[in-house]
Amino acid sequence: MTPATASPYLDLRALAPLAQLRFTTRRRIDGAYSGRHRSRQQGGAGEFVDFREYTGGEDLRRLDWKVFARTGKAFVRLHQDETNLLCTLALDGSGSMGFGGFDGQASKLEYMQYLSTALTHLITQGQDQVGVAVLGEDLGEYCPPSSAATNVAVMQEAIAKLQPQPSTVMAESLRRLFERSKNRGVLMLLSDFLMDDVEDVFAALRLYRQRGWEVVVLHLVHPDEERLPMGAAFRFEGMEDDAVIACTPADIRTEYQKHFAEHMSVVRRLALADGCDYRLASTAVPYLQVLQGFLMERAG
Amino acid sequence: MFLHPWAIGLGVLAIGLPVAVHWLTKARPVRMPLSTLKFVRQSLKQRQARHRLRDFLVLALRTAAVALVALAIARPRFGEQPLVSDATSGAAARVVVLDVSQSMAAMDGGVARMERARSAAQNYLRYKPGLRANLVFAGATPSAVFERLSQNFDVLRDELSKAEVQGDRLDINQAIERAAELLAPYAEGSSQRLELVVVSDFQRSNWARADFSILPERTNIQLESATAGQTPVNLGILDAQVRSFGAAGGDGELEVVVGNYSETPRPVTVEVTIADAAFQLKGTCPPGTRTTLTQVIRLPSAGWQIGEARLLGVEDALAADNTRGLATEVRRAPTYALISREARNRRPSAGYFLEKALEPLAGTRFDPADLDRTELGLADLLVIDHPGKIEDEDIGYLGGLLRRGRGMLYVASEPIDATNLQLLVDKLGGGLQMPVQFTPPSQATARSGLFLASYRAGDVPFRVFGESVKSMTEPLRFGGGLTSRRIENSLDDDLLATYSDGTACLVLTSSDAGKLAVLNADLARSNLPTSAAFVPLLDQLVQRLLEGRDMRVRATPGEPLVVRLPSAATVVEELTIKTPAGQTGEEDEVGELTTDTGGVVWRWTSPEQPGVYRVVRGDETVFALPVAADAEESSLESLAPDVLTERLSGGRASHFRAVGSADPEQDTLWTWLLVACAVCMVGEVATLIAFKS
Repeated sequence: MTPATASPYLDLRALAPLAQLRFTTRRRIDGAYSGRHRSRQQGGAGEFVDFREYTGGEDLRRLDWKVFARTGKAFVRLHQDETNLLCTLALDGSGSMGFGGFDGQASKLEYMQYLSTALTHLITQGQDQVGVAVLGEDLGEYCPPSSAATNVAVMQEAIAKLQPQPSTVMAESLRRLFERSKNRGVLMLLSDFLMDDVEDVFAALRLYRQRGWEVVVLHLVHPDEERLPMGAAFRFEGMEDDAVIACTPADIRTEYQKHFAEHMSVVRRLALADGCDYRLASTAVPYLQVLQGFLMERAG
Repeated sequence: MFLHPWAIGLGVLAIGLPVAVHWLTKARPVRMPLSTLKFVRQSLKQRQARHRLRDFLVLALRTAAVALVALAIARPRFGEQPLVSDATSGAAARVVVLDVSQSMAAMDGGVARMERARSAAQNYLRYKPGLRANLVFAGATPSAVFERLSQNFDVLRDELSKAEVQGDRLDINQAIERAAELLAPYAEGSSQRLELVVVSDFQRSNWARADFSILPERTNIQLESATAGQTPVNLGILDAQVRSFGAAGGDGELEVVVGNYSETPRPVTVEVTIADAAFQLKGTCPPGTRTTLTQVIRLPSAGWQIGEARLLGVEDALAADNTRGLATEVRRAPTYALISREARNRRPSAGYFLEKALEPLAGTRFDPADLDRTELGLADLLVIDHPGKIEDEDIGYLGGLLRRGRGMLYVASEPIDATNLQLLVDKLGGGLQMPVQFTPPSQATARSGLFLASYRAGDVPFRVFGESVKSMTEPLRFGGGLTSRRIENSLDDDLLATYSDGTACLVLTSSDAGKLAVLNADLARSNLPTSAAFVPLLDQLVQRLLEGRDMRVRATPGEPLVVRLPSAATVVEELTIKTPAGQTGEEDEVGELTTDTGGVVWRWTSPEQPGVYRVVRGDETVFALPVAADAEESSLESLAPDVLTERLSGGRASHFRAVGSADPEQDTLWTWLLVACAVCMVGEVATLIAFKS
């Protein structure tokens, strides 16, 4: 499938080595069309799975007459249905995603744009459907899952136009997205989780899990966030509000690192506790490498 | 309070320095957007209290360090501040009194007190605008460098540098009086400060009677002590003399008084040399007391004997009092001269009785009308009986002999004796205080059969009878003599016996060095000569009268001397004065000899060097005078400062300071302030390290 628009974040040549990799899931999912993923439905087509005694009202076409002839008992043949995957990419559009380090490197947002654009390409390459939702102060841009090239192009364009927003309410945005999602699928949340209401965000994610969604949490971290810059004094400016703090990093370096490590731990713990697939992605690692590892791990 | 008060203001400004340094050295913050600001905020909140404490400590220590440096520069002086110092400005009249008495020669704490005092006094004799000063050397007699206060500090300091310890005793009140005279012109109608600086060892014996009340009321008194704090150990010979019991060849008692001014008993050995003989006296001196060492010696040949007493094996604070000169006159056997107009061979007569009673002594009878003064001058005892009218000139001569130590027994038997005695009293003036006045008896008065109504049994001569005095005196009957009446305010002790009619029987009184006894009776009309009491009574009386012939005159350096020479010295031109070194002294060095009615007088304004001075006629010494420092100078104990400033200051503002410890002790705080500053700086570094770790 050829994209209708060329996103600046879509590097097909770079993605070529990953063309054989597919975004898979071990869970059974609901899909719109038949595909290569195991469906929650067990019907008469697909790979044989098991027998089950016939109960009245069932489709007689699924009755195994040979077994009935041999044993005199009616059994129904069960086959695993296969369907396509509906993956929704929830992108964090908060201001903190605009952080590009102390030396003006690529920001997390930019990293996320490369990564999500690649995912849209790879998912649709696997005949699956992909959707994009930008989480800001409210649910902003939302493209329902689709595999149509035109829709994908729109999605990639939306990703390319993504700008950090001064304030976000991610939990509320997730709830809105949940309400607008019709089919169960895979929700991939790409965020740095540097919001004040992390637990509320995971409370919103629990809605997805309870409905049978598979939730993948991709935690984006910039390496300069892990430690404060070296220097005598800095005037730190908040990226989501107007807060300004002047201090000497040396004085709080240890405490800061403790707080950041604790934050990482909390996000990981909450994600795992809710049955989410948690993956940490540092912007120091090339997104293709992260993507490859992610896909290979999911492929088993 | 502060030597450099301006530094306080500087310090106040400098206290802002740490804040300024903190601000100036504070790093300019780099603007930096940060996504994880909430973690920074949390970290800051956690460390804020700790950092606030650190910042407070660092700023406090830094500020304290600056303040301490400023204080150190200001040079604070703690304790009571001196009343007289160079720190005060304005016109001032200042008198510096420097103690030059003998005790200032003592070594105290390894340094002579005089040197310490000189250094202290020099601090007060520096030029300062509006300051006039004078320097008074205080000894027995104070002497000022200038007649009035001056600004010629060069001369004052020069005189100070040349000042030496005298052998004087300090008369502090005279020095204060001299200072008061110098300050008096500035006391009234003047706004100048009046300052008296006294630099002394404040020896207790000299300063106990000090009185500053004579000074102008607004005088500030600064007392600078030249002592090292503790009273130094000192032993000294306080007196040395020979008491002679008899004449040449007889026994005498060598007596040396040693003072031990320490806290432990001290064994002492005193070597005494007299003429060619040497003696050693040994003993143990209890602490804080005077001990008299005695030894009986055989008196050498007659004449003046000169010697020296010296402490052996003693190393103490004051060396000057470890030796002392002594001089004693060893006399030949005493003689008497009987002045009587009675015939030599008349028996019985009063003269005859007297000659017989005095027989152990060699005597010569003189006719009052033809007195050979040369012969008369050699006699030790003058016995006058029935002299008739004695010429005025002869009375004057006899009075002179009496004043120079001759004994005189006057037997008043005739009315004319009243005239002679009155004339003698008139000649001697205030030098002779008779207890009674003798007058001729009236024609109607029959003076016979008189007996002793009262007498002093315990005194000479009656005490020789002991308990039998009553039985010895009761049979005595007297006749003749003079009537008498008591003189008001006269001494009762001089009247030894009275008759039954209330008149005086026996009078014994003194005139300068000599003694006069008046026996008011005609021995020829009394039974006394024939009684057993006569010889003992007369012997006792004569012994008492002869006591005056020992002329023990001592002189103290610095104190004026007037001494009447023995009768052997008659012609001034034949006499010269020899110094202790044996050289003939000049007048300004040893005083002068003059003649007056009583004989030759030695006048010396201010004896200086200790030793034995001699008056010689040819090779013969006719008089010797030991000059030695006052015994009180040997006690080096100082008076307590509070006594000086409270009891003796006379209401004047006064301040006491020990020279040896004054400035270093008062002005050492700045070093401790610097140490504290260093501690603050180290503390600051330690605080930073502690909080960093």
